Amino acid sequence: MKKEKVAQIAYYPYRIISVALLVILFFPGLNVARVSGLINRSTSLLTSGFSYGNLIANFGRAFKKGWVLESTMRLLNLSSLAICIGIIACAVGACLSLGNRKCKFTGNLFSTVGAVISACAMGGIWSAYFQIAATTKPSKVEPMFQNFFYIMLILLVAMAVISIAVLVLTGRPGKEEKFEMETRFKLFLMFLPFILLTFVFCYLPLWGWRYAFFDYKSGDTLSMANFAGFKWFGQLVRNKSTTRDIVNVMKNTLAMSGLGIATSWMPMAFAIFLSEIKNPRFRRFVQTFTTIPNFISWVLVFAIAFCIFSTDGFISSMMINLGVWSEGKNFLMSGSHTWLKMLLWGLWKGLGWSAIIYIAGISGIDQQLYEAATVDGAGRFQKMWHVTVPGLMPTFYVLLLMAVAGILSNGMDQYLVFENSSNTAQITVLDLYVYKMGIVKGAIPLSTVVGMLKSVISVTLLYVANTISKVLRGETIV
Amino acid sequence: MTSMANAARLEAKAEREYEKRHNKMMMKKPGDIVFNIINYAVFTIFTIICIFPFYYLFINTISDNELVRKGLINFVPQGIHFENYIRLLQVNDLFGSFGITIARTILGTLFMVLASAFVGFLVTQKDMWGRSFWYRFLVITMYFNAGIIPWYLNMAMLGLTNSFWAYIIPGIVAPYNIILVKTYIESAIPGELQESASLDGASHLKIFWTIILPLSKPILATIAIFGAVGHWNSFQDSLILMQSAPKLYTLQHRLYIYLNTTSNLSALMSAGSTSGISKSVLDSALNGKVIKYTIAMVTIIPILLVYPFMQRYFEKGIMIGAVKG
Repeated sequence: MKKEKVAQIAYYPYRIISVALLVILFFPGLNVARVSGLINRSTSLLTSGFSYGNLIANFGRAFKKGWVLESTMRLLNLSSLAICIGIIACAVGACLSLGNRKCKFTGNLFSTVGAVISACAMGGIWSAYFQIAATTKPSKVEPMFQNFFYIMLILLVAMAVISIAVLVLTGRPGKEEKFEMETRFKLFLMFLPFILLTFVFCYLPLWGWRYAFFDYKSGDTLSMANFAGFKWFGQLVRNKSTTRDIVNVMKNTLAMSGLGIATSWMPMAFAIFLSEIKNPRFRRFVQTFTTIPNFISWVLVFAIAFCIFSTDGFISSMMINLGVWSEGKNFLMSGSHTWLKMLLWGLWKGLGWSAIIYIAGISGIDQQLYEAATVDGAGRFQKMWHVTVPGLMPTFYVLLLMAVAGILSNGMDQYLVFENSSNTAQITVLDLYVYKMGIVKGAIPLSTVVGMLKSVISVTLLYVANTISKVLRGETIV
Repeated sequence: MTSMANAARLEAKAEREYEKRHNKMMMKKPGDIVFNIINYAVFTIFTIICIFPFYYLFINTISDNELVRKGLINFVPQGIHFENYIRLLQVNDLFGSFGITIARTILGTLFMVLASAFVGFLVTQKDMWGRSFWYRFLVITMYFNAGIIPWYLNMAMLGLTNSFWAYIIPGIVAPYNIILVKTYIESAIPGELQESASLDGASHLKIFWTIILPLSKPILATIAIFGAVGHWNSFQDSLILMQSAPKLYTLQHRLYIYLNTTSNLSALMSAGSTSGISKSVLDSALNGKVIKYTIAMVTIIPILLVYPFMQRYFEKGIMIGAVKG
């Protein structure tokens, strides 16, 4: 009985380590088999093991000149393959450990064999490294030893030790025992792949926030040598030109979001007035065609803008044909009224679509309210103002609070496509600024700092909006 | 399915009643008439503003190129021909991008829908270990993100830059769609169905495959449509992740590049750039304007074609989302 309790506890590190090992397989950055600079930076341990062609993609010359022996790379490839298979066996073992004794026992066999094989195969990588390090041409082959090797080795050895221990502790299952697992764990195992995907694509990027604290240029590695502390945070306020940029960008961001919020009543008005139209065919027609722009991308909206407002677009050719202008004007290149133009494009794209939710809301309002209002002698506008508008207000508040919470996130697509040399000062919003600074100019730490502050402020705003909603209306919005 | 038909019937009924009520109350006051005229006029104008650009774009791609160049095609197409569309076949890059976009739209939507259905089903299973925790673990990702730079570095670390799978894999788990499916299963599919099936010895996978999947078709159609439009319109991931793999550019990205070649495309070619347009295209298409218009039209057409059939799904989608808040 006591043995089983110890085994139960030992299973926790066992499971955690096997999941960690499995995740490591997919990361090029954590590839212990990358012992030479010639191996592609984006090759993960999994690729190294299963695709020999990918592993030696850049080695043609090195083989020909005899810098690296082909047998070395074979060794590297086979060792990686063995590690991969071993780790997969460990993961299978960890999954089976959720079942009954028979499942556990089989799983332990898997993981013991897997962990031992992987740990031994680490030796293969070790010796492949020394073979490569002995090359006659180190400058070309760039031998490199991944310090992560030691961590990986420790994990694998720990895995092997725990596996053997739980194997002994669990003991052999009875002859008649069948493979069984509780439903709750079966369901969980089915869910697990999706949890891992979410972790990798949504939570793991948070780990990238560490770049905000380093002097990092694309291609460098992070180490204590280039640790910068809060230098980049200070840069925001100390460096004059950065501060000026940020102030300007914030002005644009708040202005455009502010205009968006100031016009957020328009979809509601659209819906109310549309419902005053009595011909259902006409209503349907309007609704259909005003929602189409919502489904085309911002690039296509720009294409539309281009064909209407450019030098030889619709407006210009009309004006020339009418003899008002002598030559075409390009409205897209002018830097005036940029905020207003962006607002109007946003309305063109989104107004009809945003109105749908209110149109549905109007059909949900109790008809007796209208009848009572008629009896009380209310006219058309009075009914709109005193019955319809209050009926739609809850929806409006929710959307308004969401808009306030998202005040810093205007997205970048719209502003990127409409940006040009003459309007860039008015159009650069926060998202676009971060993109340009980080991806285009390569200032990764500084742009990470800005993005990080933005994320934190956005989450705080959302929390505040949610709390306000809870206090005022007794309902949360998220 | 039946619920949708019911909803449509109810809607039609409500509409008729609405008509009757309004007709009864119709008082021919002059103020009312003026209001109606203005109201109709405003909506007509706005609708025209919404659809005229598409029409204008279209007639300029099918009219005589010389007239288009002079700016004479404004309302009525003249000298109709479809050569511009045929010529696009010679723009090599474009063809590739078209293929990439179609492939990602189909694969990405398929995986996303299946995953959303399956996960949506799993989170309704009350006896799953840690159900509410893992559900929150998924859903909370809608409300925060690390920012574009960490996201990019993460994708690079995973080896997903310059790889087609970068379009597919990150989109498989879509929390919002999972919520929609979960809500639908809980509200529209009777729990007794699942119970009796499991009493008959059906496994969870079997229940999912034979009961849940067929019965949740309406909601799956809705999320599929939104997913497909999203994939078709996607631009940012191509722009940021495919920097050294132009073969993997999506159609939108390609269009963006073409629109931004400041002079026309022929000038670009004579300057020695390799935009992949053959010489014969240059000779015949005298101005780049028509080519740009045609590429834009090709990118819009699938959406315009699909839209009328799918409109009710779109509207259903926003309504389900609204109920959730």
